[in-house]
Amino acid sequence: MKNLFQPYDVSLESEMLEPLDFNRRSRLKETDRCFKAEILNVIRLTDMEKLFQVRILDESEGERFSFLPGQFVMVEVPGYGEIPISISSSTSRTGYVELCIRRAGIVTGALHRAKRGAHIGIRGPFGTHFPIETMKGYDVLLIAGGLGLAPLRSSIFAVIENRADFENVHILYGTKSPDQLLFDYQYEEWGRIDDIDLQVIVEEPDNEWTGPVGLITKLLDGIEIDPQRTFAIVCGPPVMFKFVCSRLSEQGMPMRRMFISLERRMHCGMGKCCRCNIGSTFTCMEGPVFDYWTVMNLKEAI
Amino acid sequence: MKYLGIESQRPKIGVFDFTGCEGCQLQLANKEETLAAFLSCIDVVCFREISSASGEGFTIALVEGAISREDEVERIRWIREQAEVLVALGSCACFGGVNRLKNDFDLDEANREVYGDQPKPTLPVRAINEVVPVDLEIPGCPVSKAEVERVVQHLIWEVPFRFPAYPVCLECKQRYTVCVFEMGELCLGPITRAGCDAPCPAAGLGCWGCRGPAQETNFEEFLSVARERGFSEDEIVDRLAFFGGFRGIA
Amino acid sequence: MLFRCLSKEGFRDLVEMTLETIEVVGPKEIGRDKDDNPIHHYLPVSNPDELDFDYATTEYSAKTYFLPFQENLSTYRFDEDDWTQDIRYRIQPRAIIGLHACDINGLLKLDKVFARDFFPSPYYISRRENTFIVGIDHEPCEGGFCRSLGTDTVTHGFDLFLTDLGDRYFVAIGSDRGFGALQKVHAREITDEDTHDYLTERQRLAGLFQAEVPVHDLGTLLDIEFTSEVWEKWGRKCMSCGSCAMVCPTCYCYGVMEKVSMDFERGVKQRQAYSCNLVDFAEVAGGHNFRPDSTTRLKYRYYHQHRGFVEIYDEPKCVGCNRCGRTCLAGISPVEVITDLQMDEQT
Repeated sequence: MKNLFQPYDVSLESEMLEPLDFNRRSRLKETDRCFKAEILNVIRLTDMEKLFQVRILDESEGERFSFLPGQFVMVEVPGYGEIPISISSSTSRTGYVELCIRRAGIVTGALHRAKRGAHIGIRGPFGTHFPIETMKGYDVLLIAGGLGLAPLRSSIFAVIENRADFENVHILYGTKSPDQLLFDYQYEEWGRIDDIDLQVIVEEPDNEWTGPVGLITKLLDGIEIDPQRTFAIVCGPPVMFKFVCSRLSEQGMPMRRMFISLERRMHCGMGKCCRCNIGSTFTCMEGPVFDYWTVMNLKEAI
Repeated sequence: MKYLGIESQRPKIGVFDFTGCEGCQLQLANKEETLAAFLSCIDVVCFREISSASGEGFTIALVEGAISREDEVERIRWIREQAEVLVALGSCACFGGVNRLKNDFDLDEANREVYGDQPKPTLPVRAINEVVPVDLEIPGCPVSKAEVERVVQHLIWEVPFRFPAYPVCLECKQRYTVCVFEMGELCLGPITRAGCDAPCPAAGLGCWGCRGPAQETNFEEFLSVARERGFSEDEIVDRLAFFGGFRGIA
Repeated sequence: MLFRCLSKEGFRDLVEMTLETIEVVGPKEIGRDKDDNPIHHYLPVSNPDELDFDYATTEYSAKTYFLPFQENLSTYRFDEDDWTQDIRYRIQPRAIIGLHACDINGLLKLDKVFARDFFPSPYYISRRENTFIVGIDHEPCEGGFCRSLGTDTVTHGFDLFLTDLGDRYFVAIGSDRGFGALQKVHAREITDEDTHDYLTERQRLAGLFQAEVPVHDLGTLLDIEFTSEVWEKWGRKCMSCGSCAMVCPTCYCYGVMEKVSMDFERGVKQRQAYSCNLVDFAEVAGGHNFRPDSTTRLKYRYYHQHRGFVEIYDEPKCVGCNRCGRTCLAGISPVEVITDLQMDEQT
């Protein structure tokens, strides 16, 4: 009888012996093993947000780590917890990833206190991405509201680093007030790139603000869109993307060419825990990037 | 200890008791397997009625018991002034506890009943938060040491600590306890905040609600569940009043 | 599939031999309720007599032997401002004897989530692979509507499956492990008489079902009835306690939490069973709750069971065991909720 009940050791399956790579989703592996990473730099963006430049310590793990714009990672602070954060850096940037993190809870609080050189964990990348390849040859609208610039920034890099592949490019960004603007030190650079229309708007200007004032939709008034030749990526709170997308839709843009990124509180990132479930859709697997038609059909999304 | 590049500090803690049974204070010295570690992380500067003139300051005050005398009002105000963080420990401190049942009687009559012809000065019983602002409340009769540990860890390192939002039922289910309603007992489990690990139902005793209401309670449905199973209004009302946690709901 | 016939004594030998090597879990009477009905749980047994195959149902499913309510995903050791991660999922083999078809079907559904496609869970797979499962046919339990969902029979997902033919068991063999075990207790080849008796018994059992739920096209119905008053009616009763999800053979939602030891030398990352009915299930950072009221939460529980799961796996998540209906103090019964929805559409 004894030999019938020999313990079966999952860790001896051949796939388990291969290096950890979250892009190979269907292979059996230690799903909860994280890459150990070091905080290289902390860049203060606003009172609430900091940008963390994070390097995976193991060189070969770092080389294998690749992602696409719009994807997210689970950031682990051992002892504190794990949270989903979208990647803000360029896909072509090797050596480190950039994570823009708002101080909002326990884990983000710990990250904001952490010093340069601290070790954290990263699992991922997870989720769907913006279809940058498909957008080539088209006009591109990149629109962000508030913290939405964090998930959009990777796509901005993908477009400006390959400027020749796209037709007209507009980057529109809006926040409540000027002190909430993220990455303001980069607008100058982005705006100077050949033929990129960058516009920033705030709802509540301070004394020094000289730019336009109002909601993000106001910026759309000044832009001519060829609905059949345009793709849009819209990142921001539900009320914002809803207004922007229905506006674009009215102008004749197909809903299948507008992409948005939804925010939910994932606990696993792997389509298991159900915490990011919207009706019957797992945001971590089928999202966070969805086209607007799909979002319209998610009863809970907006 | 250093973590994430941050050196942690040992907070100075004062422990104080008011009207109560001191059972919660006793809990602080409980759980031997982690007691040494617990004490090494904190610096206890006052414990048990060390006079208010005690020279060493404390930043965190752990307060047990309810307020039922004038001198207690003075003392809790003094503690509030000294402490950066005031933590109410146990059902008496959080809700008034069993002591609060006194408030349903005439004060003089209650005094005579207990102390005969030598009445003591007494006030209607109040929870700590009815006298001074409280930063954190750990309900329970007595408090669970594990929960106190987690709160203290939270105060030192800001590690996650959250009281469960859900009711006791979930914890009963997670320890395979047969529902005491099935055994013909009344139980406040469906409306009481979990986090105690449901020891009472596991021992066959219905929940008495020492931790007060869960984040969201469906009180109306709870009443109809209890009535359907034949429990009288008096039984239900008495049970709800016992620890004082359901004031304002029941 | 291969079949064998096993005498009752042979079966007893099988249990005893298994007990000599590994832990054996099975239906065990743990007490009686206030109306003197027996209460059964799947628990470890120390001899074959403790197994009570006459049980109607267990209060809990056997899910927790595969997805425990709490499970360590990884542990951390902190030292010198650094940490190391340790992950363990090795499990001692165990046998579960006496599962009904609905519970084995429940495991097959969990397999789809945790053992296939994307990110298979090594924790789950380890428990599943190391569990020897012996199923058994039974008369339908009260209120069980497994037949409506096609889960009253099962063709795989077990090592052995027994049908009681009075003096002997008709055994379906689901694995080489099961085949090997039967060889040791001298099960014999089946005869025409065995097959005849087996089919007669299966027919008798099928005829005993009373509860029926019209689940045909339920997915579309749920979409149409999204704003139905039926949700209000039942949702208002829900006490958001999560008991239904705990006893359910297929509810697998969870949360992940971390704890550190008092001295901050060790940390643990835990998977903790959760329920979509709990108030803070859909709360995100900053406090926004996507499902703030019990009505919405109850609705989405049904959506996941009968629509969301179907969309991904082409079958409902529910196996029709009615454990949720039995455990719910407020009396929220899946049979009644679904029937109400069907009625609502007709009026």
